[in-house]
Amino acid sequence: MLFRLAWVTLTRHRSRTLLAMLGVAVSAAMLLDMVMLSSGMRASFKNLLLSRGFQLRLAPKGTLPFDTEATIPDASGVIRVLQSMPGVETVSPVLGGQLHVIAGTRSITATTLGVHSAVQGDYEITHGRAPAAANELVASDDFLRASGAHLGDTISAAAGYDPELRAFSGQRRLVIVGLAHFLYMPAEQRAVSLPLETLQEMQGSSARDRASLFMVKARNGVAVDTLLAQIETALPRVSAVSTETAMHQVDQRLSYFRQLALILGAVSLAVGFLLVTTLVTVSVNERLGEIVVMRAIGVARTRIVLQITLEGIAIMVVGTLAGLGLGLLTARYLNSILASFPGLPAAIDFFLFEPRDAWMALGLLTVAGILAGIYPSWRGASLPIAATLREEAVG
Amino acid sequence: MLAALLIAALSQSVSQSIDSTPPRHPPRSIAIDERLAADAHIAIGNQIVLSAIPGGAGDTVIVGAIVKRTADPSEVARAEYRVRVHLDELQSLIGYSDRVDRFAVATHETSQADSAVRRINASAFGFQAYKSRDIAVETSQTFLVVSRFHRAIGVITIVASAIFLLCIMLLKVDERRRDVAALRLMGISSASIVRSVMVEAALIAVLGSAMGVVIGWLAAQIVNWHYRGVYRTPLAFAIVTPSIVLLAVVLSLVLGLVAGFLAAQRLVHLSALELLSGRREERGPASGASAATSA
Repeated sequence: MLFRLAWVTLTRHRSRTLLAMLGVAVSAAMLLDMVMLSSGMRASFKNLLLSRGFQLRLAPKGTLPFDTEATIPDASGVIRVLQSMPGVETVSPVLGGQLHVIAGTRSITATTLGVHSAVQGDYEITHGRAPAAANELVASDDFLRASGAHLGDTISAAAGYDPELRAFSGQRRLVIVGLAHFLYMPAEQRAVSLPLETLQEMQGSSARDRASLFMVKARNGVAVDTLLAQIETALPRVSAVSTETAMHQVDQRLSYFRQLALILGAVSLAVGFLLVTTLVTVSVNERLGEIVVMRAIGVARTRIVLQITLEGIAIMVVGTLAGLGLGLLTARYLNSILASFPGLPAAIDFFLFEPRDAWMALGLLTVAGILAGIYPSWRGASLPIAATLREEAVG
Repeated sequence: MLAALLIAALSQSVSQSIDSTPPRHPPRSIAIDERLAADAHIAIGNQIVLSAIPGGAGDTVIVGAIVKRTADPSEVARAEYRVRVHLDELQSLIGYSDRVDRFAVATHETSQADSAVRRINASAFGFQAYKSRDIAVETSQTFLVVSRFHRAIGVITIVASAIFLLCIMLLKVDERRRDVAALRLMGISSASIVRSVMVEAALIAVLGSAMGVVIGWLAAQIVNWHYRGVYRTPLAFAIVTPSIVLLAVVLSLVLGLVAGFLAAQRLVHLSALELLSGRREERGPASGASAATSA
């Protein structure tokens, strides 16, 4: 009976109810998007960092990985020190640079990573194989598209370009043996990877036995923080960055989006709340006669309050369910905008859907719906019966 | 005064003639940004050591100035410190010989920039000239993305506002069914009723947008105060400009008029008697409402 009365009241003003539900749906969509934004970017970045199991990154002292062009000297010595530590399972050195691929009179430039392919954590092979010989490389799809090269082709590449002499330096012929997906690269980035020693040799004396970064995998059961402290003691010229520290840095740099998500989420919730409060208040005011008649024939005040509150909840729940679908669509669109951030790894999602986000949005709006209905319904149900009946009858 | 200068000049010439050791260069001066000065507790006149690599041999310099950070969008999220050093000193410190990364060239007139870029690129060997504006566009990519994101959020907000406004207008016209019925019975035309509802909606929209401008301005002040503190930059993150105010007011007005027109259509398409009785709304599947009311 209670549900039927609420349903009848809602369908009495269908266009009004539909509009309210639509308004709540837009609010719910925005709220869901903001909940996804506040946590998605962090979760996505953490997933990316841990995707290959490396918990620690070692960068030149005082810098973050690839934040500057600084490199770490005596790379082979650093590897020896790290491998001698009992808590270290794998060490993957990485040297960054540019590769100029020369094709006749034109050249294209690609971001280059020098790695040990057996232990690297920067790319995944999608076709072909990883480099096994010194003159082999793997390339991204965008690189192959831009250069017009194919798997198995031999290309002429250089590690440097002297603008004064307009001449390439560190030239070498390399064979493309694999197509790779580079995990930390932005979308549409032309990227290649070749053996570390080859890139060091091509870059010349400035890169001899140097690395931009070391990625370290700790053995199972080893406390990462303890290992980090051991590394920093043994290697005073490097900064060891754990996943947690990297997350903290990301939090600091992108705190704007979390705060924006909080503010817009709160505004969405407030808009949904106001919309339902307004509707329920007007609905109660229109039905004062009906409400006091129900009171007069003995219907309990709490039952009337419950019925009116149910109307608010129904608007909120139906609107929110529609809003969740709308929210996923808008999140996809908003994510495509933010994905064009310069230098952002393609694998990072600002809006990452997790079921708890949907539950949170639904829960928050349902609570808002309950709160929106309680005051006007209680006020309506508390009016003096005789006086209200007289006023309503006389008009 | 003249005597004092003479004494000083004399004493200097005497000391130079007597002391045959090569003169020692006093520490060169540098300028540091205010963020570094605050974090490292460095003041003007302090001597510090500059080194190209952590822990490496360096050069002692004296802090001659503390520089305020510029409002550069490309630097806003970076927590880097900035030190300004004499060119030759930095070249010597990092082993850069007589090289520079870039030259900044000022033309006499802004309009000469294009021709200057063309002439430099045509005659220079080994480097490329760009206009400052082009570089600014490149370095502001991050903010362009943020700006696109804000516009998208703005569109969603406008949709929500439009629905809210339409809802409010529907409620208002529903409240005034009896008044409108009386007006119709008195011979007031449907067009006049529609106009009056639209004027009311326009007033609500304009008053609401005026309040919104004030709230927006206050919010912009809070946003700027907060993020200037967070990122330690003089950059303005939110600006309320006359064009933004105009856009907001015009948009609200248009939305208000559309909402008013749609809401008014509900009144003028019913006869005066239907408006008085409200029967049209009670037809259909919701017929149980009358039962509930009569109960």
